[in-house]
Amino acid sequence: MKYILLMAGTQAGVKTYRAWSKNDIDSHMAVLRRINKELTDSGEFVITEGLAGPDQARVVRGLKDGLPVTDGIFPESKEFLLGYWIVDVKTPERAYEIAAQICVAPGPDGRPTNMPIEVRQIMSRPATS
Amino acid sequence: MKYILMMNASKAHWDAYATWSKDDLDANVAFMRAFSKELKEQGVFVATEGLGWPQQAKIVRAGKDGEPVTDGIFPESKEFLAGYWIIDVESPEQAYRIAARASAAPGPGGTHGSMPIEVRQVLSGFADLGI
Repeated sequence: MKYILLMAGTQAGVKTYRAWSKNDIDSHMAVLRRINKELTDSGEFVITEGLAGPDQARVVRGLKDGLPVTDGIFPESKEFLLGYWIVDVKTPERAYEIAAQICVAPGPDGRPTNMPIEVRQIMSRPATS
Repeated sequence: MKYILMMNASKAHWDAYATWSKDDLDANVAFMRAFSKELKEQGVFVATEGLGWPQQAKIVRAGKDGEPVTDGIFPESKEFLAGYWIIDVESPEQAYRIAARASAAPGPGGTHGSMPIEVRQVLSGFADLGI
């Protein structure tokens, strides 16, 4: 069963992250790298991606005069996807365990970020698609 | 440049989708398949996934001993990721044009959709960052 672990944050949250020291970012990334390696070793890793900052986000709704209608204004409360992992695991509980490991990755001064991680199943699709 | 095109929807929108007729669902799925095929033919397709229903979504935090603590209660306004495409294109404008096509996926009764599609660049990724 494939699950996606979504890390999301508001624009305010992203600004806080950008203020982290280089050491704090390095320690955080070292833990994420270790988690990726463990998932690769266990055969559960599918993919991970990180997204560009919310300031570049656009919402597109259809075409007007042959051009896409874009909008870059969002409510302050909007949660932007920052990145995700897809894992292939036997049970949802195992996906939750992995999410908990990501949640306690170190933040400023080595304290866990306690970043909540949304866990959702990826839909299987018909063989014809 | 890789871009992600995201479909986000509140639970109310998901509930409305669940009431579509079989014909409407079939037309929508047929559009999505043709769209992915078209992206592949253009050589810009990287990946697409559809996510499970929001009712199954859990927010996970770590407890005191690092064990997972799950919560399935979300504010009504929460937008749930419904699915995404990742495309590899030359410019953001090309990504917006492709997003506009996805936005027009057919809705109930064959209506011309205007679903909002959020477009963001995908960073070079952990692998490229040497992580």
